[in-house]
Amino acid sequence: MPRGESSDGARRMINIVALSKTFGSGATAFTALTDINITIRENEFFTLLGPSGCGKTTLLRSIAGFVDPSSGSLTIHGDDILSKPPYARPVNTVFQNYALFPHMTVAENIGFGLEMLDRPKSEIRSVVGEMLELVQMTEMADRMTSQISGGQQQRVALARALAPKPEVLLLDEPLSALDFKLRKEMQIELKRLQSETGITFVFVTHDQEEALTMSDRIAVMNKGRILQVGGPKDIYDHPAERFVADFIGDTNFVTAEIQSLEGDTALVRLPSGRQIAARSAPDGAVSGPVTIAVRPEHATLEAQGALLDGLLKNIVYFGTDTHYHVMTQDGSTFVIRRQNQPDAAEDHKVGEQVGISFNPGVAQVLRD
Amino acid sequence: MPNGVRTARRRWLLLTPALVILLFAATGPLLIVLVYSFLTPGDYGGVVWTFSTDAWFNVVVERDFFDDTLSFADAHLSIFWRSVKLSLVTTLVAFIVGFPTAYFIATRPRETRDMWMLLIMVPFWTNLLIRTFAVMEIIRNEGVINTGLIQLGIIDAPIQMLFTEFAVTLGMVYVYLPLMVLPIYASMERMDFSLIEAGYDLYASRWRILRKVIFPLVKPGVVAGSILVFVPALGAYVTPRVLGGGKQLMLGNLIELQFGQGRNWPLGAALSISLLAIVMVALFVYVRSAGTQEGRHD
Ligand SMILES: Nc1ncnc2c1ncn2[C@@H]1O[C@H](COP(=O)(O)OP(=O)(O)OP(=O)(O)O)[C@@H](O)[C@H]1O
Ligand SMILES: [Mg+2]
Repeated sequence: MPRGESSDGARRMINIVALSKTFGSGATAFTALTDINITIRENEFFTLLGPSGCGKTTLLRSIAGFVDPSSGSLTIHGDDILSKPPYARPVNTVFQNYALFPHMTVAENIGFGLEMLDRPKSEIRSVVGEMLELVQMTEMADRMTSQISGGQQQRVALARALAPKPEVLLLDEPLSALDFKLRKEMQIELKRLQSETGITFVFVTHDQEEALTMSDRIAVMNKGRILQVGGPKDIYDHPAERFVADFIGDTNFVTAEIQSLEGDTALVRLPSGRQIAARSAPDGAVSGPVTIAVRPEHATLEAQGALLDGLLKNIVYFGTDTHYHVMTQDGSTFVIRRQNQPDAAEDHKVGEQVGISFNPGVAQVLRD
Repeated sequence: MPNGVRTARRRWLLLTPALVILLFAATGPLLIVLVYSFLTPGDYGGVVWTFSTDAWFNVVVERDFFDDTLSFADAHLSIFWRSVKLSLVTTLVAFIVGFPTAYFIATRPRETRDMWMLLIMVPFWTNLLIRTFAVMEIIRNEGVINTGLIQLGIIDAPIQMLFTEFAVTLGMVYVYLPLMVLPIYASMERMDFSLIEAGYDLYASRWRILRKVIFPLVKPGVVAGSILVFVPALGAYVTPRVLGGGKQLMLGNLIELQFGQGRNWPLGAALSISLLAIVMVALFVYVRSAGTQEGRHD
């Protein structure tokens, strides 16, 4: 296998192996990253997703060179970069707070990296022009950074990081400070920039929707660990752990028992006594009691005598869809989401006995 | 009454105490000094109320006591020149020492920064004379440095440091250093340190970070610090007197001399006004040049 190529043929960009980071020592020691293993491919839009304080920034800063990992290895194109200072790494960062130089104009900010690389003035001028066009900021080239709006600052930060044409662009929650509408616009713009430039993006966010819509692959993190890596659909449909299922989208958790296991299909027995095929978790339990996860939109409301039975406690109308809250036999609430049709009459009443059903293979057995 | 007029009036009302103090404590004495510079010296100090421009004349020109010939007041001019030179050197050295000091403190953990600042400020709260004599104790021929070097066998005879320009500069740097550190530290503490990371990320070396990112951002602090050191250094008289031993007179000493032994108050007053003029011109030039570089894009 040639260097830098993974088993599936895609070129490897970043390879992180057994990376850990402990801040401080003794009684105040805090382990922010534990045994991180990821491979990020070339031209990939790779997202680190997780709640606040889970170590996303620490991992990103390890790649950028601002955090010195306690152990593990980190290579870019096969080169060990941990021994290199930030200015010798082929990566650029879009900082969470943009960190634009307030004493420079928009154009000077964008040209800073090239200037530090001692590129000729003419080249700097033309690249800056290109970048200004790319982020649609040409008219504001000579403004000071304090004289442009938040969204514009964000675009300048992006252009500044892109101008030296790094191999990898690191983005630390670059959209979190923007309002909803602008954020949506910038999400699309970021995707466009990524495909136009062909640069590998490592994107940090704690917004699951943002991660799902933008990423080629997502690494879900919690408490300094990577819980699952996969494509958005993979992660959404088949969360490996309760935390992942809970953090991304809404989920119903049902206790069940594995009856038999064949490949990645497990036959599980539900509390109602009925059995159904579910997808098993890699490295998960092979027998005994487990928790399975079912997405609200993957289940349907039926007459009594379905997979699960219960009492319809509540109907919540959301415009695009309606949520049915069903209290099952064991007292837990199961939510079913049904897309609304124009002018369809509501055919269920609160207080009636109902059944819940879902297709074989829809339920996911969780690892814990 | 229109609203605008009322708020304007209220603003003046709020300013009144400050204006009164300024009028009596700053402008008043200044006017008195100006008036005195155009009077005739009294025999035992003080002034005689006769108009005269002699004092101003004497600032630059000397009349020989015996034959009334006129010559350049070399003594005055060399003192002017020395004062400006030593003050500039003091400011420069204070900057070279103060800038890294401020950077060091600003990069300490938040909890310990105040402690470091306190260490910088404590000498500043100590009596000026005591501090100056402390410097003297260190550099005089029988002082710590010379005795130490002789005992170590590095030198045979003490190095003459006291009563030299070096001694005066050293003393002034020591005395005024906090005034340089404080404003630089203040602007550094306000600086967003993620800008330094951004610089590193964009391939800037340490030296270039310092020149292209840190320095432009803390420049207001450097300007303020330089003014705060240069101005009092120009008028200093305790330090040059003690450490210069009367051989390295500065403007402050010259002025003090006229009001004391010289018994020539008008000349002292004229010299004071000259000092003020030098300061104003220097400040004007300095702030202008510092400002144009910064305000390039505004
Ligand atoms: N320099 C440091 N010293 C000690 N602990 C630190 C340091 N930097 C980060 N941590 C801790 O490491 C953990 C992870 O921090 P990190 O900034 O990586 O979180 P994050 O996932 O980026 O969170 P957020 O979404 O809030 O930005 C946090 O608990 C934080 O307190
Ligand atoms: Mg973060």
